[in-house]
Amino acid sequence: MLFPTVTFAVFFMVVLPVSWALQARQRSWRAWILVASYVFYAWWDWRFVFLLAASTVVNHVLAVAIYRARAIGARKALLALAVAFDVGLLAYFKYSGFLVTSADNVLGTSWIVDITLPVGISFYTFMAISYVVDTFRGQVVPASFARFAVFQAFFPHLVAGPIVRASELLPQLEAPRDPRKVNTSRAFVLILSGLFLKVVIANHLSTHIVDDVFAAPDRHSSLEVLVAVYGYAVQIFADFCGYTNIAIGVALLLGFEFPQNFNSPYAAVSLQDFWRRWHMTLSRWLRDYLYIPLGGSRKGTLLTYRNLMLTMLLGGLWHGAAWTFVVWGGIHGVGLAVERALGWRPTSAAARFVGRVLTFHVVCFGWIFFRADSFTRAGQVLERLFTGWGRPSPLVTTSVVLAILAGIAGQYIRPGAIGRVVAGFERLPTVAQGACVAVVLVVIDTLGPEGVAPFIYFRF
Amino acid sequence: MGFFRTPAGRGVVLLFVGLVLAAVLQAEGLRKQAQIQPAGFQRDLALDVTRPLVRFSRALHLTTPRHELQAAIGREDEDRIDTGVHLTLPPPAGPLPRPARRHIGTHAPAKPRFSAARPLRLWVAGDSLAQVPGEGLERVSDPALAVLPVESRLSTGLARPDLYNWFTRFTEIDTLHPQVAVLSFGADDAHDFMAGVPNGRTVGPLGSPSWSAEYRRRVDGVTRELNAEGVYVVWLGLPIPDGPGFRKSFPIVNRILESVARAHRRGATYVDTWHLLDDAHGRYTPYLRVHGKLTLMRLPDGVHYTSAAGDLIARQVLAQLRERYRF
Repeated sequence: MLFPTVTFAVFFMVVLPVSWALQARQRSWRAWILVASYVFYAWWDWRFVFLLAASTVVNHVLAVAIYRARAIGARKALLALAVAFDVGLLAYFKYSGFLVTSADNVLGTSWIVDITLPVGISFYTFMAISYVVDTFRGQVVPASFARFAVFQAFFPHLVAGPIVRASELLPQLEAPRDPRKVNTSRAFVLILSGLFLKVVIANHLSTHIVDDVFAAPDRHSSLEVLVAVYGYAVQIFADFCGYTNIAIGVALLLGFEFPQNFNSPYAAVSLQDFWRRWHMTLSRWLRDYLYIPLGGSRKGTLLTYRNLMLTMLLGGLWHGAAWTFVVWGGIHGVGLAVERALGWRPTSAAARFVGRVLTFHVVCFGWIFFRADSFTRAGQVLERLFTGWGRPSPLVTTSVVLAILAGIAGQYIRPGAIGRVVAGFERLPTVAQGACVAVVLVVIDTLGPEGVAPFIYFRF
Repeated sequence: MGFFRTPAGRGVVLLFVGLVLAAVLQAEGLRKQAQIQPAGFQRDLALDVTRPLVRFSRALHLTTPRHELQAAIGREDEDRIDTGVHLTLPPPAGPLPRPARRHIGTHAPAKPRFSAARPLRLWVAGDSLAQVPGEGLERVSDPALAVLPVESRLSTGLARPDLYNWFTRFTEIDTLHPQVAVLSFGADDAHDFMAGVPNGRTVGPLGSPSWSAEYRRRVDGVTRELNAEGVYVVWLGLPIPDGPGFRKSFPIVNRILESVARAHRRGATYVDTWHLLDDAHGRYTPYLRVHGKLTLMRLPDGVHYTSAAGDLIARQVLAQLRERYRF
């Protein structure tokens, strides 16, 4: 089920009031929200509901066993088992085709693997890993099975995050949500802004320039290729930030707070700054469950660079089972290492401006490999950036340029301005608020292209 | 009732007010969305709900703001539902003509020659399966070929003009001046339902004589209309799918496409993507070896193409076009 559809609107119109009606009876509420989440997930492919359920059962059993075990050796063994199970699931469903094909091409064999990737598996598996690791570290006390099942399957975050931690969501599942403490206005502003980003900005750029140029870079001018690269940078931001805005807003209406996932990433003054602002819940996951356990920056300069590179390469691979994603992670890893070696921390206004421009362009360079379906295509994009100037550029239209400018300018909106919009919305009477919501929905639906393209991050 | 005075309660009310009001304001858009759904209970229910909604909205002129906005961005026809099958040439009397036999000893007509100065103009159109082969053709760096922008519309076909009316679109393509139309249709047509048949009549289940006759009439009509405009038609067949879902339905469509192309040998050809993409044993395979490298050909849904498959199909299209043209 996709958020910007009539199906989801009807689904949520049923789920939301029943959820609040059942708040006083927590056991019934958990059953209701679990069924709703599984229906939401089964809408794509009902068979994978069993996979989600299996992940929940195994991780819960092992987390409880880790918590109860006294001997450190036993605890470590159980943790290793849990992580091996989770990584094994990912390896089988997401990477077996990639690994086997890579081996085939080296060995000349033809062991073909054809496995369907279950939507959202990367997200709920990372949440499960953080749960068992936090249990091992003593940071989390295992919840009841029902609470953990809701934690992992809760539909607002289920298929594309944000990657919520047990310590953030489980305490919210311990007691009924207070209907007096829901920031409804913020929820609606988040949902509407998310819909606008996805349906209008991301879909427009995708259908009007990005897909055409990345399919056949050689047939387009340098200007079209350049604008398509900038366009993709804005498209992927609008697509993913749009999704998480809707997810956070939907969770808020249900009474739950999710962590922020984006904070104006294209206003970053360095790559390190970028990763504090882009997909923030993944960045901190990689930091806490990969970079720091590898040794972080505590084991000398060389090992720090190694840890940085390994984290970014694996982060790249997390996004997709292809070498282009590994290269994308490598570009960021090298960039972070260079910044570290140079001690790049811009403070003056001029240095910060240079930092912003440089960082944005390094990020755009990385996006070329992220978006291209092969190295050949990425090479064609890079080559065409320099070899097709002066040719006609019919895809560079006013609406495309406006969408890109809007996407970039949006990065510089001060948080206070958004707060004022929320406060202004808050002051309106409910009927006027409803009229505002309706008008914005109609504008978004009318301006967006026909049909609903899936969210980019669903395939991760 | 105390709940509705809390922020959460207001959120529930606001959600209902906002969505109901939005539904009234874009009733015609919802009506079209209902209309273009696959036949079945969900479509019937959606049509039953949106019918009075449209009447109510029109009576209060609440459809006007959306119309005005659509007109301002040049998309005023978006909510229009056009089920007409616009085939102006009369259907042939009796069965389709048999292909003419080749006469031994006669000289084949000279192939028209195209060059960078006068390129062969290709127009690729169809459902979602048209996109990737179209991009494959765009990537061919032959200056004697001019590939027009690919027109690929998701979930459309010749069976559902209510969703997008390709028959109307075909009457407009003279402005593009194509010499060749590469068409990919059928993946979304392989159902028991067709729009554009007279009221009160149905076409029967997929593959039944009545279904096949009506689908053949449409494929044949499109071929003849385009041929009459001087456009050579390349029908892309449907590829071998993964799983049993489409394994029976795609060959039904393929047989019709192939037989129509054979009947119009001078004006059409059929590209057999089914056998282009199966393995040595005639089975579905997601990978094929290309230049010695195992290459992914199909997306995880087991139907759509990767760009490597698009390149393979594009090469086959060009090979078949070279039998007729020099470029």
